[in-house]
Amino acid sequence: MVDLRAENLSFAYESQSVLEDVSIALLPGTLTALVGPNGAGKSTLLRLLKGENQPHKGKVTINGKSLTGNCDQVALMPQRTSINWNFPITVEGLVELGRVNYSQPTCCDIAACLQRVGISELAERRLDSLSGGQQQRTLLAKTLMRPASIYLLDEPCSSLDPPTREQFLRIVRQLADSGLTVFVSSHDWGKSLNTYDKVVALDKRVLGFGSPEEVQEQLDSITCMGNHCCD
Amino acid sequence: MSFSIQHWWLFPFLLTVFTGILCPAIGTVLIAHKRLLQVNLISHSVLPGLALALALGIDPGIGGVISGLVGALVAERLSMKRNEDFEAVMNTVLAGSLGLGVLMIPLFGIRIDLEAVLFGDLLTANLSDLVRTLISFIVFSFLMVFGYRQLVHIGLDPEGAAGSDIKVSYLRLALGFATALAIVSSMSAVGVILVIALLSSPTLLGLVQASSLRIAMLRASLFGLLISLVGFFTAITFNLAPGPLIAVLCVASLGFLPRKKHH
Repeated sequence: MVDLRAENLSFAYESQSVLEDVSIALLPGTLTALVGPNGAGKSTLLRLLKGENQPHKGKVTINGKSLTGNCDQVALMPQRTSINWNFPITVEGLVELGRVNYSQPTCCDIAACLQRVGISELAERRLDSLSGGQQQRTLLAKTLMRPASIYLLDEPCSSLDPPTREQFLRIVRQLADSGLTVFVSSHDWGKSLNTYDKVVALDKRVLGFGSPEEVQEQLDSITCMGNHCCD
Repeated sequence: MSFSIQHWWLFPFLLTVFTGILCPAIGTVLIAHKRLLQVNLISHSVLPGLALALALGIDPGIGGVISGLVGALVAERLSMKRNEDFEAVMNTVLAGSLGLGVLMIPLFGIRIDLEAVLFGDLLTANLSDLVRTLISFIVFSFLMVFGYRQLVHIGLDPEGAAGSDIKVSYLRLALGFATALAIVSSMSAVGVILVIALLSSPTLLGLVQASSLRIAMLRASLFGLLISLVGFFTAITFNLAPGPLIAVLCVASLGFLPRKKHH
C-alpha cells in the first residue's frame, strides 16, 4: 500500500506562477478528482507528482520517502491531445509501448491490460478507427502496463459524451477498488464528482480538499465571500 | 564494345531501384512523425553546401550532406519551440537557404547546373552516385534496426517517449542525418526538389490501413519502386527526362488513394 503526499509545492514557468503552496495527500485505494478551471495548474501538478518536473518549493514523498528514485511507483496517463492518433499502429502496438523496459518483453501482460479496460476485441484495430472513448481506454491500458501503485490520469474524460464518461469512470473506480491509488484531473464540477472518494479543487492554490460534499461546501463559501453575500 | 558502353543503363537502373525503395521508406517515418516540412528545409539547405564544396574543390556530396545536416539541426531546433509561428519560420529559413546557395554560385565563380540539381539527371549517374545511395541505404537500415521501437514511440507520443528515457532529440537528429544523406544521394536520380515527391506520394499509398510503421514502410517502398521503374523505362523509351517524369507519376499515383473514412 503506497501513499503519495505533496507538501507546500510551488512551481512557476519563467516568472509566471502556476502553483502556490499546494499540499495534498493521496491515500491507497482511493479515487481522487482534481478539478479546476483552465490554467489552474492541474497538468503541472500531475507532472510534479510524477517527477517529470521539479518543484521550486516543497516536496513530494511516497510512503515518507523522496519521489526521486521511487518514480516507477507512479504512472501518468497523458492528455489525449498529446498522442498522434493517425500514427500507423494497432491498439495492441500502442499498449505494448507502455512497457517500462524494452529489454523485458514479459514485464506486463498486454492481453490482461486490454481486458482490464474492456477493449480486448479492439486489439487489432488501428488507432484512427477508434472512437474517443475507445482511444481513452487504449491510453489507460498503455498506462496500466507500468506496474505502478499510483496512477495519475490527465483529463481522461475530456470530449467524452456522458454515457462514455460514466463507463470510463466505472473502469477507473474498479482500479481504485482493487487497491490502486488513482488521481484524475477533470473540468467536470457536476454530479459525476460524487463518483470520487476525495476531491481536490485547485486554482493555483488548493481551494478545497476532502469528500465531494465537503469540497462543494468549501467552494460555496468561497463563492459566497467573493460575491459579498455574507455581509 | 566495352562493358561501360554496353551496360550504360546499369548504374542509372540500380540507382532508380535503391532511390525508389529508400526515399519512400524514409518519407513514411517522416510523415508518420508529422515532420515532412523538415524534409523541405533539409532538401533546400543542401544547395549552399554543394556550392561551398565545389568552391573548395571537395566532393559536392560531402558539402551537401554537411549543409543538409545543418538544415536538420535548424529544423530540430525550430520544431522544439513549437509556437504558432513555427511553420512560417521554417519556410523562411527554407527560402533563405535556397537563396544563399544561389547567391554563392556567382560569388565563388563556380559552375553548377541548377537544372540538374533541381530536377536530376538520372541517365548520367555513375558509380559514386550509386555508392552514396548505398551508404545512405545502410545508414537508414541501421537506424531502423536499432531504433525502430524508439522511433515508433517518439512518433506516437513524444512526451511519453522522453519520459521513458528515450533520447528524443538524438534520434530525431539521426533521422535528419539519414534524410540529408538520402536527399543528397537521390539528387542525381530525381533532383533535390523532385525527391520530395518520392518522399511523399508512395508514402501516402503505403500508409493506407497499414497496421504498423514497418508494414507502411514496406508498402511505400514497393509503390516507390514501381513508380520509379515505370518512370525510368518510360523515360528511356520515349526519350524523356526521368526525374520530372517520376515526379509526375508520383502525383498521378495519388489518384489511387482511397477516400479516408471519418469516425
